[in-house]
Amino acid sequence: MLESRTPGGPLADKWDRHQFELKLVNPANKRKFEIIVVGSGLGGGAAAASLAELGYNVKCFCIQDSPRRAHSIAAQGGINAAKNYQNDGDSIWRLFYDTIKGGDFRARESNVYRLAQLSVNIIDQCVAQGVPFAREYGGLLANRSFGGAQVSRTFYARGQTGQQLLLGAYSALSRQIAIGKVTMFPRREMLDLVMVNGQARGIVARNLITGEMENHAADAVVLATGGYGNVFFLSTNAMSSNVTATYRAYKKGALFGNPCFTQIHPTCIPVHGSYQSKLTLMSESLRNDGRVWVPKTPGDTRAPDQIPESERDYYLENKYPSFGNLVPRDVASRNAKEQCDLGKGVGETGLAVYLDFRDAIKRDGKDVIGQKYGNLFQMYEKITAQNPYEIPMMIYPAVHYTMGGLWVDYNLMSNIPGLFVLGEANFSDHGANRLGASALMQGLADGYFIIPYTIGGYLAGTSLPKISSSAPEFQAARKEAGSRIHKMMAINGNRTVDDFHKQLGKIMWDYCGMSRNDEGLSKARIMIQELRSEFWKNVRVPGTDGDLNQSLERAGRVADFLEFSELMIIDALTRRESCGGHFNEAFQTDENEARRDDENFCHVSTWEYAGDAQEPVFHKEPLEFENVHLTQRSYK
Amino acid sequence: MTKTINITLKIWRQKTAQDKGGFETCHASGISTDMSFLEMLDVVNEQLTLDGKEPVSFDSDCREGICGQCGAVVNGRPHGPEKATTLCQLHMRHFKDGDVLAIEPFRAKAFKVVRDLIVDRSPLDKLIQAGGYVSTNTGGAPDANSVPIPKDIADKAMDAAACIGCGACVAACPNAAAMLFVSAKISHLALLPQGKPEAAKRAMSMVCTMDELGFGNCTNERECEAECPKEISIVNIARMNREFFKSAFFSAVM
Amino acid sequence: MNWLVKTLGSSIGKKLLMALTGLSFCGFLAGHLAGNLFIYGGRDAFNAYAEHLQSLRPLLTLAEAGLVLFALIHVMTGLLLFYQNWTARPDRYAVNKTAGGRTIGSATMPYTGVILLLFIIFHLFHFTFVDKTNQTIFDIVLISFQNPLYVTLYIVVMLIAAIHVSHGFWSAFQTVGLNHPKYMPLIQGLSLAFSIVVAAGFGFIPVYMSLMA
Repeated sequence: MLESRTPGGPLADKWDRHQFELKLVNPANKRKFEIIVVGSGLGGGAAAASLAELGYNVKCFCIQDSPRRAHSIAAQGGINAAKNYQNDGDSIWRLFYDTIKGGDFRARESNVYRLAQLSVNIIDQCVAQGVPFAREYGGLLANRSFGGAQVSRTFYARGQTGQQLLLGAYSALSRQIAIGKVTMFPRREMLDLVMVNGQARGIVARNLITGEMENHAADAVVLATGGYGNVFFLSTNAMSSNVTATYRAYKKGALFGNPCFTQIHPTCIPVHGSYQSKLTLMSESLRNDGRVWVPKTPGDTRAPDQIPESERDYYLENKYPSFGNLVPRDVASRNAKEQCDLGKGVGETGLAVYLDFRDAIKRDGKDVIGQKYGNLFQMYEKITAQNPYEIPMMIYPAVHYTMGGLWVDYNLMSNIPGLFVLGEANFSDHGANRLGASALMQGLADGYFIIPYTIGGYLAGTSLPKISSSAPEFQAARKEAGSRIHKMMAINGNRTVDDFHKQLGKIMWDYCGMSRNDEGLSKARIMIQELRSEFWKNVRVPGTDGDLNQSLERAGRVADFLEFSELMIIDALTRRESCGGHFNEAFQTDENEARRDDENFCHVSTWEYAGDAQEPVFHKEPLEFENVHLTQRSYK
Repeated sequence: MTKTINITLKIWRQKTAQDKGGFETCHASGISTDMSFLEMLDVVNEQLTLDGKEPVSFDSDCREGICGQCGAVVNGRPHGPEKATTLCQLHMRHFKDGDVLAIEPFRAKAFKVVRDLIVDRSPLDKLIQAGGYVSTNTGGAPDANSVPIPKDIADKAMDAAACIGCGACVAACPNAAAMLFVSAKISHLALLPQGKPEAAKRAMSMVCTMDELGFGNCTNERECEAECPKEISIVNIARMNREFFKSAFFSAVM
Repeated sequence: MNWLVKTLGSSIGKKLLMALTGLSFCGFLAGHLAGNLFIYGGRDAFNAYAEHLQSLRPLLTLAEAGLVLFALIHVMTGLLLFYQNWTARPDRYAVNKTAGGRTIGSATMPYTGVILLLFIIFHLFHFTFVDKTNQTIFDIVLISFQNPLYVTLYIVVMLIAAIHVSHGFWSAFQTVGLNHPKYMPLIQGLSLAFSIVVAAGFGFIPVYMSLMA
């Protein structure tokens, strides 16, 4: 069942060889194919534009009012590429190795190597589109070191790299919309995948303005619908980020890979109240100069400037002398939690640690620090009303990215023929932990440079009989989606959708967050089941389904989160090791680091839906490492 | 310091584009000053839902000031009274206990109200489709460093490219003009060598499309610049004008 | 020439027309004011200036025709813009508040413009299209400004003109694309200075004449 379709031969030649082996679609025939792309972020936007450029007819769907709003836009830091413009010893191989190692050896070698290869083309492509990357005075591109990488390979556009890359893809997409090769469907939510004869042949979507259900048929379906971090309610994801599209595909038979791998980003602004709707990330680059500390004595409530040097615990620097404050995200996050669990957390809630720029300002001067981080300091002050030049910032980890997603083969096709999955929505090249500045790289590599080839290989080699969007399969999917909506609307209970979502989020954060244990996971599973059953009895969805109804939109998403969260827990319980974004307290080294079990768990865990009342069926794709040696990550 | 305040909201309610719509008053009590404006609306909506009423529809997505999806006019100011701030990044500490706030949707002929505070900003997409791109297909791009771009040019392009497409410039303009939005894109691409080959065509096409879509004309009132959450300058409008004149009088573009 | 119609008919084309004609009027105002300064030289000087102007007749006719044409363009385009801008927001805001971009000048352009148009018509009938067989222009002006009503009217309108010009002058530069971070502050300063010169220069004449009488 799990055929990864990785081509043979040396690692560096695999992609070349595979491209040659893929069947081609005659240019004149491309216009006979319809392709549905769901999502318009870096993966979806780039794919829709590139496929249309090749001649395919594309229908692109997005949940927001414009494709330019996809949440890729919020990425701040940058995008990695193995250009070695800085002459500091970077190479495709080094990027590949860093990514594989950073991912705790839970990603497919061949995919990661291809990603590193394509990274260089991405930068070329984006510059050609007019992406205004930062430049040196000589006019050449600037780079910075990011996320603890020891080479400077990160390209950036101020603190808005994601925005600029997305606007590049959006402009390419807009050009194709103007030509008529892409038909754009904004404010649409995919509610189901439609399969005909075992192939993905369309979707059912809801027009979020009119409430109308729409059937869309195609020859292939590409999902680029992002991650599921909002299962935690509070995350750095956008309000509309959700799991529905991928979860519905899962219910139609697509395998879900590594759902328990979630990335908790260490430098976010702490939670300050129960009304909070989202968390804001502060760029990781802050850790280049900021020092993380907590008071040595638990329960110390003095103001930070009242705590003398000798009573401060710079725990990252003490514990990891060589990487210090620059340890990878998962390590930094877990350590912050550990300190807060010890009662050493600061701020009103005790759920925060200091990120202090006092010494950096003393060393480099306020101006230099202001030039580097001024906009971030401003953003922080806007939200918290505290001035980080004077009072240390308070940070706390927050859910940021999900490495898990629908399982795909080397062609980025799921186990359902004709269903392709890109970007954060697929189970990803990032293994168990994603390195900084790699998400943008993956989304664009998938969209610009992989799917245009691999989808051709599928279309050319597959018999695809003509189908109509009123085929019985469409009607059935539509009816089912409609009846779910009617059922939800009819409950008219006493609790709001957000109320359920917040409770679910808290359960997930407490028991399936940064640190997990079997007892907590098992408890959480029962709590979720109870919450789910209460949801279907007691949720209140006001309004009607015949027009714009944001409560109804959210209700559908939360209903899916309530099912999907259980899958995450099952996956977390099954993975009897700690690695990257999955830390089970039972599996740690003497120094409280994640202890992998390469002998038994060096695989992708995937799950097959078996029915609402059934346990999902486990399948694994063993990961074979022919080119790298599996080591314990050490940042000491 | 965190406090709680009580405020009165006069919110525009309108069921559909065809509906006439009007203001409804509701009270937001016990609002923490640490809340963002949209979180305050969330709280109001939770209460409305529990009271058996329909919550207020409003747009938002990233809630960190970059996606451009949120926006409403608060007491006559798009995105509220704070400078360089989107509505999602506006915090309640900027309001006082007992304040009365009128909340209206962005208004322009080109932006139809969809529901309550949500408007249809698809004309902004149409403007980009009219030429806000470099016609380069995927693949075939030369090495990224093959064309050096002076830092100050790249910086100026970035200043213009920072536009989040929220439409506050249109909402703020006394003439409901989209000049700042269009000029930001024309400037961004006209400054860069990659955008120059199409500069004439782009300027003509985007300006004509802007007129067709029913946006107003610029009278240099500078409200757009003052209200833009990304502080995009009207220097870009002057540059757009130059690009337009170059296109009209000195190029082959008809 | 279709392209020209298209260009000038576009939003930016109309702005260009407003800017170029407006700037010409600024030039005219400067010339007019310079000429008016002869009034301080007394009756003979001013009348001589007027006669000299008349002696340039064919040229003067051309200038007058140009002014009328420019006025037509400026007024018609201005009215069209006013109408289009008004209808670009069919539903108005319940609360209006400026973010600090607008000035009195920019916010009142159409209104000050209409007042100026009416004034110019009045002014032409008042001083230009009058029977000058029995009295010189100096006397006409002198007699007129013995009426405090005229003095007030002229002063008020000159203030309005200054307000109109305070926005129009720099705005014209912005419209034709001349906005540079180095020079724009200078242009805006000039705009303010020019409007003060207009208000003070033209506005003092009625005062001076009424005092003289």
